[in-house]
Parts: sequence; C-alpha cells; structure tokens
Amino acid sequence: QLTPSSFLRIGQLSNVDLNEDIHELETEVPRQRPNEIPHNEKLLSLKYESLDYDNSENQLFLEEERRINHAAFRTVEIKRWVICAMIGILTGLVACFIDIVVENLAGLKYRVVKDNIDKFTAKGGLSFSLLLWATLNASVVMVGSLIVAFIEPVAAGSGIPQIKCYLNGVKIPHVVRLKTLVIKVCGVILSVVGGLAVGKEGPMIHSGSVIAAGISQGRSTSLKRDFKIFEYFRRDTEKRDFVSAGAAAGVSAAFGAPVGGVLFSLEEGASFWNQFLTWRIFFASMISTFTLNSVLSVYHGNAWDLSSPGLINFGRFDSEKMGYTIQEIPIFIFMGVVGGILGALFNALNYWLTMFRIRYIHRPCLQVVEAMLVAAVTATVGFVMIYCSRDCQPIQGSSVAYPLQLFCADGEYNSMATAFFNTPEKSVVNLFHDPPGSYNPMTLGMFTLMYFFLACWTYGLTVSAGVFIPSLLIGAAWGRLFGISLSYLTKGSIWADPGKYALMGAAAQLGGIVRMTLSLTVIMMEATGNVTYGFPIMLVLMTAKIVGDYFVEGLYDMHIQLQSVPFLHWEAPVTSHSLTAREVMSTPVTCLRRIERVGTVVDILSDTSSNHNGFPVVESNPDTTQVAGLRGLILRSQLIVLLKHKVFVERANLSVVQRRLKLKDFRDAYPRFPPIQSIHVSQDERECMIDLSEFMNPSPYTVPQEASLPRVFKLFRALGLRHLVVVDNRNEVVGMVTRKDLARYRLGKEGLEELSLAQT
Amino acid sequence: LCRALLPALALALLGLAAAAGPRQTPVLELAEELAEELWSAGLPGDLPELEPECRSLLAAFAEGSAALTDCLGRRARPVRLCQGCHGHYRRLLAQYGSIARAVGNSSESHNCAKSILTSDRLQIVVTLSEFFNETWEAANCANCLKNNSEGLSNSTEEFLDLFNKSLTCFEHNLQGQAIDLSPNNYTEVCKNCNETYTKLNDLYNHLQRMNRQGGESAHSAHLCIDVEDAMNITRKLWSRTFNCSLPCSDTVPVIAVSSFILFLPIVFYLSSFLHSKQKKRILILPKRIQSNANLVNIQEKYS
Repeated sequence: QLTPSSFLRIGQLSNVDLNEDIHELETEVPRQRPNEIPHNEKLLSLKYESLDYDNSENQLFLEEERRINHAAFRTVEIKRWVICAMIGILTGLVACFIDIVVENLAGLKYRVVKDNIDKFTAKGGLSFSLLLWATLNASVVMVGSLIVAFIEPVAAGSGIPQIKCYLNGVKIPHVVRLKTLVIKVCGVILSVVGGLAVGKEGPMIHSGSVIAAGISQGRSTSLKRDFKIFEYFRRDTEKRDFVSAGAAAGVSAAFGAPVGGVLFSLEEGASFWNQFLTWRIFFASMISTFTLNSVLSVYHGNAWDLSSPGLINFGRFDSEKMGYTIQEIPIFIFMGVVGGILGALFNALNYWLTMFRIRYIHRPCLQVVEAMLVAAVTATVGFVMIYCSRDCQPIQGSSVAYPLQLFCADGEYNSMATAFFNTPEKSVVNLFHDPPGSYNPMTLGMFTLMYFFLACWTYGLTVSAGVFIPSLLIGAAWGRLFGISLSYLTKGSIWADPGKYALMGAAAQLGGIVRMTLSLTVIMMEATGNVTYGFPIMLVLMTAKIVGDYFVEGLYDMHIQLQSVPFLHWEAPVTSHSLTAREVMSTPVTCLRRIERVGTVVDILSDTSSNHNGFPVVESNPDTTQVAGLRGLILRSQLIVLLKHKVFVERANLSVVQRRLKLKDFRDAYPRFPPIQSIHVSQDERECMIDLSEFMNPSPYTVPQEASLPRVFKLFRALGLRHLVVVDNRNEVVGMVTRKDLARYRLGKEGLEELSLAQT
Repeated sequence: LCRALLPALALALLGLAAAAGPRQTPVLELAEELAEELWSAGLPGDLPELEPECRSLLAAFAEGSAALTDCLGRRARPVRLCQGCHGHYRRLLAQYGSIARAVGNSSESHNCAKSILTSDRLQIVVTLSEFFNETWEAANCANCLKNNSEGLSNSTEEFLDLFNKSLTCFEHNLQGQAIDLSPNNYTEVCKNCNETYTKLNDLYNHLQRMNRQGGESAHSAHLCIDVEDAMNITRKLWSRTFNCSLPCSDTVPVIAVSSFILFLPIVFYLSSFLHSKQKKRILILPKRIQSNANLVNIQEKYS
C-alpha cells in the first residue's frame, strides 16, 4: 500500500530506513496487528542470516594483497594443504574414538542384557529382562538427549541439513563451534549405545565440518585460545572451502569412501567450486580414511593389515555368486521403484511427525522425555519380536556376536535377535553376508515393518544421530526378503544369493529417503569395494529418486524447509521469469552517506526493528538537487569494528599518532562481532563524522530494476552474494535483494508460491 | 653314472618292496612304475630322473598321506579327527618338511625339493599338503592339542571325559526306560543326567570364553571340531530328542510390561497435544512494493 509518491521519494532520500532483514513497514501501513499463525512449511525464519561469501574488496584489502609477494602466496597455499591434512587426521581420529567407545559400551550393554535374559529364561521372569533392557536404553538416551536439548540444540539430528545450509551460504547459529562438536560426538555415542534406530555415520559429516572450521581459524573462541596461526583464513570465503573439505573427510571416514566424500561435498554442499579445491578436498578425504584405517587396525591388533577403511564396512562382495547377470537388471530397477515408494512413505510420515514436534513438543524437557520413550519402546519392540520369534538357527559356523538362545534348543540362537539385539551397523553387515537360509521370510518381514516405523519415529528426535544406517538396514531387510522370495519363485536355481539383493534393497531405500544421486552411488560402490556394482546401484538410485520425487521431496530438503531456512536451490523456480528485481527487492533502503555522522550510524545499528547487515553507501552530497548515486556497500560488522576503534575523522586530525586500522583488526573480531549495545559512544563522539570510503566495498554488485528473477538468482547463487543492490538508471539505490527475498519463491503444487517471513 | 645305476637300484628296491609282504597294492604299483622307468631309462635322450633318496622321500610322503586320508575318512562321523589323526598329521608334516629341505647330492639344480615340488604344472605333492593343512586349520585342531601338538590338551581330555560320562548316563537311563515307558517320555533321563549335562555345558561355555579371550581374530573363535561336534550331539539329544530343556515361558507378565511401555508414548503425545501450548509464529510483513502499487508505478512511469 505504498503510494506512488512514497515510491518516488525513495530515490531522493539518502537516509531512509533500509533493509537486509525485513521488518515492519513504517507507520503508513495501517494493518499492523501481529499476525500469529501456527508453524507450517511455508515460512522463512528471520533467525537465519547469510554468510559473506563475497569478499569485501575495500582499500585495506587491496593494500594487503599488494603487499603480499609471490613467495608469501606460496606459503598461504602450503598452509592450505597443511590444514587439509590436519582436518583429515583429526576427523579420522574422532571417527576412531566414536567407533571404539560405541563398540565397547554397546558390547557391555548387550552382554549385561544377554546374561540377564539367559538367567531368566531358565528360571522364569523374563519381564524383568525386558524392564532392564528398556531402562538401560532409556537412561542412556536420556543423557544423550539432555546434553543436546539443554546445551546445544543445533547438534540434534544428523547434521547434514545444517552443513548443507552452511555451504549454501546460510549462517546457522552455533553450527561450527567446538561445543557443538563435543556434544555431537557424545550424543552420537550415547544414542547408538542407547539402542535407538540410528547410525553414527551421518553425524561424522557434521563433526568433520566443525573440525575443519576450527582448525582453519587457528583458534577457538569457546576455549578463548588464539594460536596466532592461519590468520589469513579468517573470513567466510576461506572457511567455507575448508568446511567442504571437512564434510568430505567426514563422509570418507564414515564409509571408507574418499571419492564419495568429495562428490558428496560437490553434490550436497558446494555452491562454489574450483578444481584446486577439489584436489585439496580429495587429499583431506584420503588422509581421513587412511588415519581411521591405520588406527583401527592397530586397535584390532593387526597393525599392518589396513582392513577397516570406514566406520561401516559392507564387507567383501567379490565372490563368484555375488556377481550379477544382465537378466537381473530389470529386477534391480523394480527394487528401485519399491525403494522410491517406501522412501516417500518414510518421508511423508516423518514430515507429519516433525510438524507435530515443532508445534507441540518444543520445550526441552518434553523433548528429552520423548527421546526416552522412543528408546524404551525400541527396546520393547525388539524384545517382543525376539520373544515371539520361533526362528532358530544353529550357532555352529555362524558369526553372531551376541547369540541369544531364549526358547531355542541348546546350541541354537534366535535369528530375530541378530537383527534386533545388535548395533544397527552389525545388523546391516549380517543381512548382506549371512549365508542363504540364516533368516526365514517371516522374520525379515516383521523386522522390516517394525524397523521402518521405529526409524521413522526416531529421526527428528532431539538426539544426535544419523539416518543412513537405519535406511540401509530397512532396505537390506526387505531386499533380502525379496531375494529369498525370488529364489523361491524360480525354484532356486540361478539367483541363489540373497545378499546381493539385500545390497540393492539397501541402496534403493537409502536413495528413496535421502535422494542423493552421484555421491551415494560412489559411496555405495566404494563401501562394497566392487566397481562392477556401480551400474546396478546407479540404476537403482536413479529409479528410487525419480519415483520418490514424484510423491514428496528428500528427507534433508524437507527438514531444511520445515526449519524455515532460506535455502537457495540450484536454479530459480522455472515459472519465475515474469518476476523482475523490482518486485522481488525490499524497499525502501537505509543508506549511509560516505561521510556520515557517528550518531546516525549508531542509531541505525541499534534500531531493533531493523537489524540489517548491509548498507549501501551513497555520495554525501549536501545539496539535494544532485542525485545521490551508489558509491559502495558496507557491512554491519565493519561498522561495528570502526565504532569500536573510534575511527572518526576528527580524532584522526587530532592525534597523528593514532594507528591506522588494518585488515587484521577486522579479522580478529571475526566471526563473533560484538553487538552494538556493547559499544559505548559518548555524546561528544556522536557529533563526530566517520569516513567510510576506505572501508566500504567500492564495487558492489548491482542490477537494474528490470532484471528478471532467474537472472538475479543466478548472480546470487554463483557468486555467493549476500546483498545485491537494485539501482535505477541514474545509479540511485532503489532497493536491495537479499537471500530471503529470493528464497521465498518456491515451486509448489499449484505453480509458484510465496513463503511468508516469520519471527521464530 | 646316474643313469647306469638306476636299473640296478630299481631292481633292488623292487626286491625290497616284494619282501615287505602283506601290502599288495602299493608294491604292485611300484613295480609297474619301476618297470616303466626301466624301460624308459634305456631310451636315448631321456629326461633326468629322480634320485633314489628323493624317491624314498616321495614314497614315504605318499604312504603318510594315504594313512592320513584313511584316518580322516574313518573318523568323519562322529567327528574324532583331532583325537585320532594328529599323529598321522604330524608325521606327514615332517615328511613334507624333509622333502622341502632335502638337497640331492648330485648337483644344486637336481635337489629333491625342486624336482618333487616344482617341476611340473600339477604339483600334486604341494596340493595334497595344502589340502591337509587347510583341513587341519578349518577343523581348528590346534585348539585342543597341547602346544607341542603331542596329544590332547588337559582341558580337552577333561571335556571328553565328561562327554563320555554323560553319554553313558543317557544310555544307562534309557535302557531302564525303554521297556515300560512310551518313547516320548524321557523325564527319567532329564532328571538323572541333568547334573552331568549342566557340567558339560558349563565347561564348554567356559572353554569357549577362554578361547575367545585368548585369540583376537575371527577364526580362532571356534573350538576344535571334535569338541564342538561332541557338544552339538549332546545338546541335540538333550533338547531335541529328550526335550529336556523346557524354558519357563512367562507370557502374561511380558505382555503386561510391554503393553504398559507401548502405552506410554500414546499418553505422552496426547497430553502434549492437549496441554502444551501450540507454538505460534509471528508473521512479518515484508517491505516491498505491493503488487497493486507496483502496477500503478509502472503505469505512471510509462504514461
């Protein structure tokens, strides 16, 4: 409801209220009632800000770059490699730590419960064993959930959506802090030991990213230690590159898949990419898997063997009967279809559940209680399934870690217990490799059904845990069932080995849930260690994705959307060509003059209703007849550093000795700039003037008002912009496009839809 | 020299073999072989032949492997491989070792190891010895033998003692029963042999645990096949044939406890749905040109 006159005014006023994050309009807007609605998926949260992936090329920066000679650039390059090596090593070590602790604690738990069950099977009173199992699970998960809910909520879940957002350019608060890493690692250990239907692989990616972000900065703000190294890398652009290396190293440690890790970073993360970076990331990945491999080999006692490249090993798939024939390919494609449908069902169920959780279970203590209940129910379901199962297999010649006899004859074990009474990773490997006949179809069917719902229920709890392994497990179970029934239908002969079908089922299910393509194919290929499986796995994943996308989008994208994150996809929505920058942009814009009064700057910065982060700088021309053209762009963080160091024109004249501000001062404050409230500006100082021309970015990206949305989008996405100034033909600031202005257009079921902004 | 000596030696050997008496078949074979060789030795340009000491080593190996095969086959069911055949196996190992180490006196290039083990494509001696080694490994016999592999280890002896004891107990009790009781009712056996069976079972579990602690790798997690098989037979008899291990199934308390636990989430979700305040989001109006105003502006601009 802006009148035309107010619109025309914009260009002439040099000091209007301006924007990056948009807030209420001024008083001229009559409908000002606070509009409250329940949470839904068509919102964008104001909580999230952009990262500055576009370097501010101000005078200080140019001077510094000019000072650095050729040799110095070479040391910077060497430092990058050193950092990547360290990222790899540390990620590998963290993965080892998680693996070893989980193995021991879970072993302890299963031994205790097994002894208890064995004792009560003979004497009666199995309900106590059930209680013991449920209580153990619930209490371990309680600790895991408590630390996540109360200390660092961002550590919940697998962390892949968060890292995806970070690499996309969204600043998720706390996502790459040391504290998050600690909570994440402990949380993963506790939730896996607590017997939830979760894996420890997904969180490795988050852990790797935090490690990368930490090392590349050479300091930790949480520990208040500054090692005075790697200062050159203290800005968002450099950090982003290292974070993608960390994510790759995490994947590589989790699955023993270095190439898959690189491709994961490329597919999921990197909006920005170059070849040198790829090579460095590959280096970090390789180092990571090698570190894990050698440390775990030493731990397992065969130091020179190097036989455990990842947290999960699918085992060897190179025997004769594991090969596939051309005739089987249509069958694999059919499995892909099934995987896509089941994946879509999983996502749809999880969508409703997550929505319910956001709306009703938002208090931390409720979240902890929920996690405990899920843990107890998981144990109960497992116990009841084992109790009811009459599928007994001989112990001789099988490699079951905790054979549970229960009602089987002596010397036999309960086959359902290998699936439920074990960590999920081990169950997956058992399903792949146990000889034909180890499970009867009834067991597999019940297991698939139960685990499907348990996994779906578990994902989204306030515990740190991944969804990779549960998906693989569900898929492996129904895949094996499929293989068994196939060989039953064809009277045995050719397709004898169900392990192969278990693998394809696992791939189909995982693909149907997370909808990754290239990287997942390579990860699966590397984890099986068999390149010939590449083709069927690719087909399976493609089919699963096509079928799944027909119904509902991937799990990670869904969660990103439910969190109301302004996420920019690869392309602008296809039908958005009719929109122009003028409709997309926010206006009016708060501009600063090149030489601005300190008081004005402080007032603008401390205005709570508009916490904008970028301010166009216009010519400070006192007479209004001349147009105030755009001269540059300055960020809130830069202004705060200027105010803190009191870089005022008057002071510079007064004291000649005053040190000139260097780029280092900005870097030292990065990434946590103090809020404006903590900076004291006296009444006298308010009257001083501040000269921004040295610090502003003199060449910000601009577009004319007629630019189409896809064009603006492409600029944004390709350059990693945070602010894009819209100017008219006289170079006057008309509006500003930010990430949220673009992210709000989305292709919905009925064409283009617009998301609303909300305070969360 | 060598070639001239051969026929004479062969004849001597033949006599020796004939004198050995009762074993008919090997002698005949040997004779045939030798005859053939004698015939071929006369031909011009023939190949260098086996030296006599190598020949005797080979013969010893052949006999040893025959004996071991015989032993393994006879003791396949019920499995008594490790107890019965470890002597044969050890001897065969020694014989193979002496072949591998033996060096002929004529020249470097004609030593026994080379001519017996590696001079043809088939390498039957190597294959045989590998087969025996693999079988021995798979049976995990080393596990129930003493460290120097002479005789059974103490724990194995103890186990086999107990095993025999429980078998006799089974037999003893069954004999008494067979006359007056129906074949399905074995309560007598279960009652009387419970002690021995439990002891046996415990000992087995103990051995298994000790073994698992000792060796790290997956292969040595197994006990030797004799012990495993003995235990397997006993367990099958006990729980399948006699139906002795009847676990107490307490279905009612289990159902009660599990339904209680399964009921909890429903209560939780319902109560949080009813009592928890739904989280509301405050909508924020964006600052941008409204679409209707937009139209006006555009019209103004172009008019």
